[in-house]
Amino acid sequence: MHKKIVLAASLGIVFAYCAVALLAPVIAPYDPHAITGAPLSPPDRDHLLGTNDLAQDIFSGLIWGTRATLLLGFVGAAIAVTVGTAAGIVSGYYGGLIDEAVMRLLDVAMTIPIFPLLLILTTFFRPGIYLIAVLMGLLGSFQGVRLIRSQVLSLAVADFVVGTRALGAGDGYIMARHILPGVLPLAGVKFVTSAQHFMLIGIGLGFLGITDPSVVDWGQMINRASQNGAMILGLWWWLIPPGLAVTLISLALAWLGYACEDEINPRLRVMRV
Amino acid sequence: MIEVTDLETCFSTGFIRRRVVRAVDGVSFRIEEGETLGLVGESGCGKTTLGRSILRLVEPDRGRIVVDGTDVTALSRSELRCFRPRMQMIFQDAYTSLNPRMRVRESVAEPLKIHRMGSRTDIDRRVRELIEEVGLNEEHLNRRPYELSGGQNQRVVLARVLALKPRFLVADEPTSALDVSVQAQILNLIRDLGHDYRMTCLYISHDLGVTRAMSSRVAVMLEGRIVEIGRTADVLDRPSHPYTRRLVDASLTGPCASLERLPLPAAPTTVEVRSGHWVEETV
Repeated sequence: MHKKIVLAASLGIVFAYCAVALLAPVIAPYDPHAITGAPLSPPDRDHLLGTNDLAQDIFSGLIWGTRATLLLGFVGAAIAVTVGTAAGIVSGYYGGLIDEAVMRLLDVAMTIPIFPLLLILTTFFRPGIYLIAVLMGLLGSFQGVRLIRSQVLSLAVADFVVGTRALGAGDGYIMARHILPGVLPLAGVKFVTSAQHFMLIGIGLGFLGITDPSVVDWGQMINRASQNGAMILGLWWWLIPPGLAVTLISLALAWLGYACEDEINPRLRVMRV
Repeated sequence: MIEVTDLETCFSTGFIRRRVVRAVDGVSFRIEEGETLGLVGESGCGKTTLGRSILRLVEPDRGRIVVDGTDVTALSRSELRCFRPRMQMIFQDAYTSLNPRMRVRESVAEPLKIHRMGSRTDIDRRVRELIEEVGLNEEHLNRRPYELSGGQNQRVVLARVLALKPRFLVADEPTSALDVSVQAQILNLIRDLGHDYRMTCLYISHDLGVTRAMSSRVAVMLEGRIVEIGRTADVLDRPSHPYTRRLVDASLTGPCASLERLPLPAAPTTVEVRSGHWVEETV
């Protein structure tokens, strides 16, 4: 497929999801928690995707669920990338003992699997959705540090950085003005790929039924559907739509990430045929 | 006036089995006000490290550096930052000496902004002056490094450095990446501007012809030490150290001289063979 088309299509999908999330109260015909008719009714004119076992409108749930998924993904990714970039720049720029300390700490931290740890933390503390996003962001920032640091290592010894230090510039100035712009494209790609990753983790947590129960999300919808035999009873409108919604956004973000990565690092192109 | 005494810079690698490389090994010399000292030697002999150590871009481990009466080695980090405008450096590769994301205008204005030298309009005027001084024009100010040639980039670097009116300049092979015709232009420019700005200069090079043209005195470096130093004509025409002789021969006849390493004394002593011409004694 042509690269430009992939980029445009994936961007279009991501923007469409954002629009839906923002306009949820306008688009959704019902309150997703409200009882709106007969339970388990198939799609008709009133309920575009039918109702679930509690007689809640599934289409409205689907629309409102966009918010939770995007929020987890984007807030988590923003935190992960900010923390990862800051730590990576400091570690790579100063080098020496600071770098050594950060790297050894990361060696330990990276052996901790994020998903199970998140499971335990959320089960114990039952945090709200924002706190879950923050937790995800912090736990997910580890790989970002490595990625950014490796780029910073080569930038920090570049002649223009040494030359700027010779001019009498402070470390903070050099990092903000000369190093950060150099790693921003990489951080952008990391943002997109982590957003996708965190969205899937969020769906996973929802599916296991341990996210914020006051928030409608696709994971919980899928969980409820499969728990109540949607599969066996053939209630496709209950199970399939949230699944498709997740798949589509996750694919779009993955494509977007690859397209951006291609743009900034053409050497990778061959490897991903 | 620059005075370097017993300068030593080491690099260590490895965590458990630590290996120490003495890149600069007890170097002493002085450069008089307004004079240019050429520094020659083979790749990896420590020329660049010496240049960077003098500006404390690499921290020296031992020794004293006095620039215009100020002991640079004794300065604290913040004092050093205020002192830096007085001593500047230009690098071998002009392309990598400029941030590829910055326009020429920003690169040249940067030193003035860092040291808050004047208002916006002042800085703008000074940038235009500087760019003309190095032989470019205002139209180049809106370009980025990859839109300029190597020679033009080196001119921009020079403008950026001159913005601070340095008293001392370390030029680290500034023309070795350029072709011969451009090389001559840049060399003339550096020499003329050095004269106009009354700069003291350390000119690092591996090209004896360039060194001869640029410097009044020459120091020859081998394995982190200065093995011979003196007036350019003395050192290059009547070399006393076997290594200098070899360098001069190689520059005349091409690379054919014997390649085995010279045996170097562990505790070197220097003798003055002529007035102001010092040579390290060999075994």
